[in-house]
Amino acid sequence: MENIALKAEDITKYFPGVLANDHINFDLYKCEIHTLLGENGAGKTTLMNIFDGIYSPNEGDIFIEGKHVNIRSPFDAMGLGIGMIHQHFMLVDTLTVIENVVLGLQNQGFIVDKTNIAKRIKEISEKYNFKVNPYSRIWQLSVGEQQKVEIIKMLFRGAKILILDEPTAVLTPQESEVLFGILGQIKSDGKSIIFISHKLEEVLEVSDRITVLRKGRVVGTVDKGNVTQRDLATMMIGREVLFNLEKMPLKTGREILKIENLEGYNNRGLKTLRGIQFSVHSGEIFGIAGVAGNGQEELAEIITGLRKASKGKIYVENQEITNLSPYSILKNRVSYIPSDRLKVGLVPNLSSVENSILKCYSKEPISHGLFINYSRATEYADNLIEEFNVMVPRMSAPIKLLSGGNMQKLLLAREISENPILLIAVHPTRGLDVGATEFVRRKLLDARDSGTAVLLISEDLDEILMISDTIGVIYEGRVTGIISTEEADIRKIGLIMGGSKLANSMGH
Amino acid sequence: MLKFEKRENVSLKLRILVSVISVLAGLIIGAIAILLARINPLTAYKSIIIGAFGSKYTFTETLVSATPLILISVGLILAFKMSFWNIGAYGQYIIGAIFSSYFALFGPPNISRFLLLTIMTFAGLAGGAIWAIIPAVLRAYWEVNEVISTLLLNYVALYILKYFMYGFWRDPTSHGFPLSKPFTLNAQLPKIVLNSRTNLGLVFGIIAAFIIWFIIKKTKFGYEIRVIGGNPKAAHYAGINVARNVIIAMIISGALAGLAGMAQISGVIHMLQIEINPSYGYTAIIVAWLSYLDPFAAVFVSILLGALASGGYQIQITMQVPFGIVAVIESAILFVLIGSEILMRYRIYSEKRRL
Repeated sequence: MENIALKAEDITKYFPGVLANDHINFDLYKCEIHTLLGENGAGKTTLMNIFDGIYSPNEGDIFIEGKHVNIRSPFDAMGLGIGMIHQHFMLVDTLTVIENVVLGLQNQGFIVDKTNIAKRIKEISEKYNFKVNPYSRIWQLSVGEQQKVEIIKMLFRGAKILILDEPTAVLTPQESEVLFGILGQIKSDGKSIIFISHKLEEVLEVSDRITVLRKGRVVGTVDKGNVTQRDLATMMIGREVLFNLEKMPLKTGREILKIENLEGYNNRGLKTLRGIQFSVHSGEIFGIAGVAGNGQEELAEIITGLRKASKGKIYVENQEITNLSPYSILKNRVSYIPSDRLKVGLVPNLSSVENSILKCYSKEPISHGLFINYSRATEYADNLIEEFNVMVPRMSAPIKLLSGGNMQKLLLAREISENPILLIAVHPTRGLDVGATEFVRRKLLDARDSGTAVLLISEDLDEILMISDTIGVIYEGRVTGIISTEEADIRKIGLIMGGSKLANSMGH
Repeated sequence: MLKFEKRENVSLKLRILVSVISVLAGLIIGAIAILLARINPLTAYKSIIIGAFGSKYTFTETLVSATPLILISVGLILAFKMSFWNIGAYGQYIIGAIFSSYFALFGPPNISRFLLLTIMTFAGLAGGAIWAIIPAVLRAYWEVNEVISTLLLNYVALYILKYFMYGFWRDPTSHGFPLSKPFTLNAQLPKIVLNSRTNLGLVFGIIAAFIIWFIIKKTKFGYEIRVIGGNPKAAHYAGINVARNVIIAMIISGALAGLAGMAQISGVIHMLQIEINPSYGYTAIIVAWLSYLDPFAAVFVSILLGALASGGYQIQITMQVPFGIVAVIESAILFVLIGSEILMRYRIYSEKRRL
């Protein structure tokens, strides 16, 4: 057993209402790159945060080199040789590379010997061909370089086990290639790497073994040589469909949303949309499938006016709405269910009533002149709550006290009751329990049947297949395939989602 | 090992319980300080209570201290509801006092008392509002941090006051002291309790508390402010004009601080001078927080803090307690009260070491 670097037995972690990790067994050899593969919400990041001491598990044991350990903090983890590189880097922008590397080190004197540290950073950099100047400030570096600083930081502290949480999500394909080279070199130095991803192609390129998680459980651990992208897609997504919703036959009407050659940037200044083109019709659910970070959220934000498009045009009912204010777009009867309910859609500290009227508070009869008639507002909210079966403890209680499912129901109620011509729903069932999930999907179908054009963005392929009429797969900022659901095959879609070259044979 | 967990819901019972325990804890800390001064803490506390509420005179003094706190804190509540951190009531108070003093000192001599006081009231409101518009516009259009801008404007306001008091507004018969001429009776706010300093300002304060409550709870503007304060992104998404609301709310907030300045000089001091107690502008921040941004609670918290101030003043005189001790008691209570916030927001429990 001496070649096992880390072993986890029966790890279970639950959060209120969610079982994030369900009796997970995982082992990591020395000189190995072991990938954790799974959809968003499968429990990958939770498991890694347990290894890094950010969470402590409710059950289960962790062994490092055969020794039972209790990891209580990232500091403990570092002491055991575990270093985690988070999706969002833990760097201080205004400090230099040296200062970031030193930050948090305990064995330094009062005065930090910068020249010595710079020398050691240079040694590491040269060994792995990092080309990072120790005296640069973090904000001056590209995202790829910042990631290298994170790796230097961990190696500097003597990490023997490196955990990388979706490291390629923020990289260009070229930068990813460079990263894989570096990881290979680190591995051959006798260290172990846990690599987290949901991109099939790169997983097969970089890993030795792959463990697939789905809904908090291990589906299986496989050797790279024994599997294909197809196998992995099947394991990751799972073929069994949870429930089948009855669906009325498709009656598409006129074109409602038309997007032409749309381009845009994400918050890091990377171009995430590179020429999106598709249209959605009245009475149709257009599902956009794809792994996170391929431009989906930016697409939704650009359509709703919360983000600017750098190029291209968006039309709603033949009227151009590109880069208008959210309010003018809203007035065009576009409704939006954002992926992060509490950040954009709702005001956490306000009550259910106050949240219900957010989009119609300035209209009669809810308001009159300068005043809001709260008894009318309460009536209005009561109706929404009843119709959408929202469980609200007290109407005056802050909405943050509601469960995720009930918050989403209320948001959905508010957006649908406006009778929109276009409804944009981003991850509408993420984090919801089975019942609420089914309810939300049912309501989306109802909206479709009443003639609304629905743009559904989801990472849950089951969901897309279940309720969409047309599916567009988004990969690296382009819609790489548009197919009707009847012709869709979960494996093929899974492959395109992972960026497989097969995509070319499926163009529209 | 102690662990903190965020509380989801804070019941009213818990709030009151924690507040009462905090005040008691503050009193115990204060008692240590009093003991060090070789005085029996129980006697001292008894004297404070008597000094604050014991007689008609002392109670009216408590209300005198509470008046500016009420006016300023209810204005701050409006700004804080919007998550606009107005630290500038100190300056807004001063400018309000200067504006209204102008009419008291140099206004037309032959107008009625009612008219002069009305003009002074509006001048006070306008002065505070003007001083508040500056940071509001900077924040609304250029995203200048209001904590910095309002704080710095406080110093500017103080130096403007000094400029007038050491300059041409100084009373030539003041033997060089930085005081203006005393206000004529026409420029003095009427008293509402005979033979006391409690004046109409208190009524202004209570009306202001009601108006602010009404704005927050009943109007579209109040709703928009709460949405902006709770989630600016949602406000943007719902088409709320954030810039306009920031400016209007700050005009109201500043105007009330300006009115507090006016009420202080016209109702209590009866002249403009350097020492017009603008630090009410800072104490009112504490009042706003202790009352959980509820305008009516702010009235009571203001009276409580007013009682501490006037009771503290009384024991200085009657028990020869040094001023420092009084300040220690006040600070200890405030410190513990503010510290107790953490008990409201987090559940604290100890976690046994896992194997």
